[in-house]
Amino acid sequence: MNAPAMDTHRPPDSLTRTLANWRVAAPRNPHFRAEVWTRIQAAGDALPWGAYVRRHAAALSGALALAVAAGAVTGQGWARAQTAAKSAKLAAAYVESLDARVLSSK
Amino acid sequence: MKNLLISLGVVATACGLTCGVAYFLSDNRAMDAAARDGDAMAWLRIEFRLSDAQFTMIKRMHDDYSIVCGKHCADIMEARERRAPAAEIAALEQVCVDAMTAHFREVAAQMPPGQGERYLGTVLPQVATYSHHGAPNVRATPSPGK
Repeated sequence: MNAPAMDTHRPPDSLTRTLANWRVAAPRNPHFRAEVWTRIQAAGDALPWGAYVRRHAAALSGALALAVAAGAVTGQGWARAQTAAKSAKLAAAYVESLDARVLSSK
Repeated sequence: MKNLLISLGVVATACGLTCGVAYFLSDNRAMDAAARDGDAMAWLRIEFRLSDAQFTMIKRMHDDYSIVCGKHCADIMEARERRAPAAEIAALEQVCVDAMTAHFREVAAQMPPGQGERYLGTVLPQVATYSHHGAPNVRATPSPGK
């Protein structure tokens, strides 16, 4: 922004003309938007995690509750599936241990 | 971004820990041991919640029936070895099926209410869906001390 030096001795119409012809020729910065986001990001990262948690307490509590529920259901389902598979295998073994058709085929 | 990643890590860790704890609490360790030992009688005791008296009775019935089963087995093997007609082998197999089914019903009668029906619902379909492929390598006799 290089404004011409103001000449107080010029008549007012000259000032008006100068102002009317004045164009700001600031160079465009193509990275302006990205730099703004980078600064915002940096400001966010500078926030301590405790403060971040307090700021997003509702979302984090919800995510934590969902994670705990999903973990519990998955763990219990996994254990039950494994127990059921073992039980089925032992059931087959039990029946076959008393099945002369099977024993005579060995 | 760093705070978001830390938060996601905490959530994922909570999920994993809960999964592990739920697995540990829900796991049937007695069934694990029975499967590891291939002990089908232990399975019977655990699966159908048999009392000591019921298990002792059922084990005795099992041992007694094993002798009968051995006889049926020998008859079928002998018929197969002398290449008996298929009808004769089928008749011997039917004797085995009938005796086995009767044994299972007697065992079911010794079980707690409700468990006997569940037991029959487990074993009888396996008698019906028999195929001549042989048995898995597990034993049906309890481990010493059980």
